[in-house]
Amino acid sequence: MAFTLAYHIILVPLGVAFPLLTVVMEGIGLRRNDPVALRLARRWSVVMAVQFAVGAVTGTILSFEFGILWPRMMGRFGDVFGIGFGIEGWAFFLEAIFIGIYLYGWKRLPPKVHYRLGWVLPPSGVLGAFGVIIANSWMNTPRGFQLGPDGRPMNVDVMGAIFTPAFGYEFWHLIVALYMTAGFMVASIYAVGWLRGRRDRYHRLGFTVPFTLGAALAPIQVVIGDIAARGVFLDQPAKFAAMEITWQTQSHNPEVLGGLLRDDGTVWLGLSVPSLDSLLAGFSASTVVRGLASFSPSDRPSVVDANFAHLAFDVMVGLGSIACVLTLWYAVAWIRYRDLPRSRWFFRGAALAGIGSYIGIEAGWITTEVGRQPWIVHDLMRVSDAVNPVNPLYIWIMFSALLVVYAVIAYFFVTVLIRLSARWRLDDEGRSGEEESAPEEAAPYGPRPA
Amino acid sequence: MNALVDDGVAGALLLAVSAYSTAGGTDYGAGIWDLLAGRFRNADQVHALIDHAMAPVWEANNVWLVFAAVICWTGFPLLFESVFLSLYPLFALALLGLILRGAFFAFRKVATTSRSRLAATRVFGLSSLLAPFSFAAALGAIASGKVGAGGPVVPVWQACLDPLAIAFGVVALAATAFSGASFLVGDARRYQDRSERGADLVEYFRMRTVTAAIALLLVSLIALLLIAAESPDVFRGMVAGLGLPFALTAVLAVLAVGVLMWRRTYLWYRVLTVMGVGSFVFAWGFGQAPYVLPGHLTIQQAAGAPQIEALLLVITAIALILVIPSLLLLYTLDQRSALES
Repeated sequence: MAFTLAYHIILVPLGVAFPLLTVVMEGIGLRRNDPVALRLARRWSVVMAVQFAVGAVTGTILSFEFGILWPRMMGRFGDVFGIGFGIEGWAFFLEAIFIGIYLYGWKRLPPKVHYRLGWVLPPSGVLGAFGVIIANSWMNTPRGFQLGPDGRPMNVDVMGAIFTPAFGYEFWHLIVALYMTAGFMVASIYAVGWLRGRRDRYHRLGFTVPFTLGAALAPIQVVIGDIAARGVFLDQPAKFAAMEITWQTQSHNPEVLGGLLRDDGTVWLGLSVPSLDSLLAGFSASTVVRGLASFSPSDRPSVVDANFAHLAFDVMVGLGSIACVLTLWYAVAWIRYRDLPRSRWFFRGAALAGIGSYIGIEAGWITTEVGRQPWIVHDLMRVSDAVNPVNPLYIWIMFSALLVVYAVIAYFFVTVLIRLSARWRLDDEGRSGEEESAPEEAAPYGPRPA
Repeated sequence: MNALVDDGVAGALLLAVSAYSTAGGTDYGAGIWDLLAGRFRNADQVHALIDHAMAPVWEANNVWLVFAAVICWTGFPLLFESVFLSLYPLFALALLGLILRGAFFAFRKVATTSRSRLAATRVFGLSSLLAPFSFAAALGAIASGKVGAGGPVVPVWQACLDPLAIAFGVVALAATAFSGASFLVGDARRYQDRSERGADLVEYFRMRTVTAAIALLLVSLIALLLIAAESPDVFRGMVAGLGLPFALTAVLAVLAVGVLMWRRTYLWYRVLTVMGVGSFVFAWGFGQAPYVLPGHLTIQQAAGAPQIEALLLVITAIALILVIPSLLLLYTLDQRSALES
């Protein structure tokens, strides 16, 4: 399950945020009557459709895994927790339909109508993420109900269950992360082209628009991330202690960068900044931070879990900081020369930013999910109580089968993208004589071409 | 009031299952015919037609499945828990079929050698059998009463291999083959304007629609007898209760399609196909009402918190208002593109 989710989340940034880039690019193309921008938008829409199809499959797998792996959680809390998925499901359907229309519409609809229909996509993507975050934030800070005598929720307050304490910061943190990642990812492809000497308008535009989006969001994300961390400090002290590998409850708690927690509560390696953690958590060095030792061993993440959460957290924060450096560089160059930075090092950094933000998202996800252990629903249900009580062998067989299947899907996804890109490059180079083929024709999924 | 809302949610769930059976079923059916095309002299043409016909819709079909799961766990958490605790092997198999199918459908398009194409075609076809069979077998196991509230009443493997589960699986195979063939007649008719072989294909799938219709009626009769033997209450619901109108509609619609095809009258057959297949699901669902797990769990008992039920119904209604016009727009554009090309 964890693996499937981690895999699915790779597809999410493009699913949620890519449409905005595509539609904005189409808008630029229409406003300036720029065929290059339109060609980019059209090709992006094809990539969007392919990855959306893969997302549909992994999404289907996910929804069934909830049943196969966590039947007891769904049985007990499915109604309170599941409503978000109801929203997500319909939003996803709407997006699927409009991606179809958008792809078809390139040749068949008047450009303005097509453009306006395209604007349905970004909000439906965000709506989908909204739904999923309802579910996840509820698992972190379950609210909006009372436990009945049979352990099932009663007197459900719908608004309370949707807008739990963790909802706000989780939602904005994720949405911004998704847009950042989509921006950096798309830009990184053109940054590679740029490094290889393809410095035409096509690559310039393909780089600038998404990179500007990613860069603009990076500093905002730092602020949101900071707010989110304080939210975790208040709502899930055990997770916070794991993220910061704090063992003893104390004020003037240091911020440990890197390093691993040992079983006896000491830290191995790692750079310790005195009082910083207390300062960040409560704006004062005298803020008391609860340590892992203050929780009963059965209610807190294990030392291994804590180390995972901690390192993932550090990786995420580190990558976010690097993204901010790139942003600064980009901004300075723009202010001074009104142009892209000239250094190849900048483009090398930008080329890595795409993969970097994916690692960042994965790290963030590990932080929040592993940090919640041993709970699946915070303070209410343990993972071990939620899981399907079958022979673990069965789970492992299932898991191995999934691994193989996912490897196959990944192989196809990458193959298709490579074929698309090769084909488009041929189109660009041989544009002198033949008429260009419609980009939609190359996609194995999605609506059939005209 | 609460009861009404719960029934509404149950209706929405049944609708999602039925939508998946018709839309997804057509797709699976195409896969089955793809597998069986091996010895036909125009096999390549058949594959090409099926490729062409399937490409636009298959990911939209999966969405219906996701809805069914979501409505089930949100609206009826206890039902969801019970069904998955009892029948997880069937769902795992269905999932496997689903994934392999999608992957190898794409793989066939990028495969370069004829051997790997053939292998891809086989995997694609076999997984097209596996998925609908397993999904429907789960419904059959529910109808048989082997799924109790909170878990199976017999060992898991026994619940999964119940005769009724197998029977439902077989009915599903016949139904998907039937709707697949019927829709492929339509696709072949559009295709024949462009290819001289098209007329052959229309004949090819016309005969197969008739055969599948007969097969479907026969196996559903057997399934009905099994229901009578295993779950008399469900049987009563289907032949004398709420399920009756749907059971009749299902039989008549399938018969009508068979007759239309036999007489080469290409009118209304697709609408009737959808009605027929969809009605099978409704006949079963209404037949076992008010039980979601016959003999064990009613709609009322399975329903989640009332506030959530109401919200779920509202969300579904809003979504339908948004989704149906969009679907129609997509469908219109699809038809227009077919006319253009």
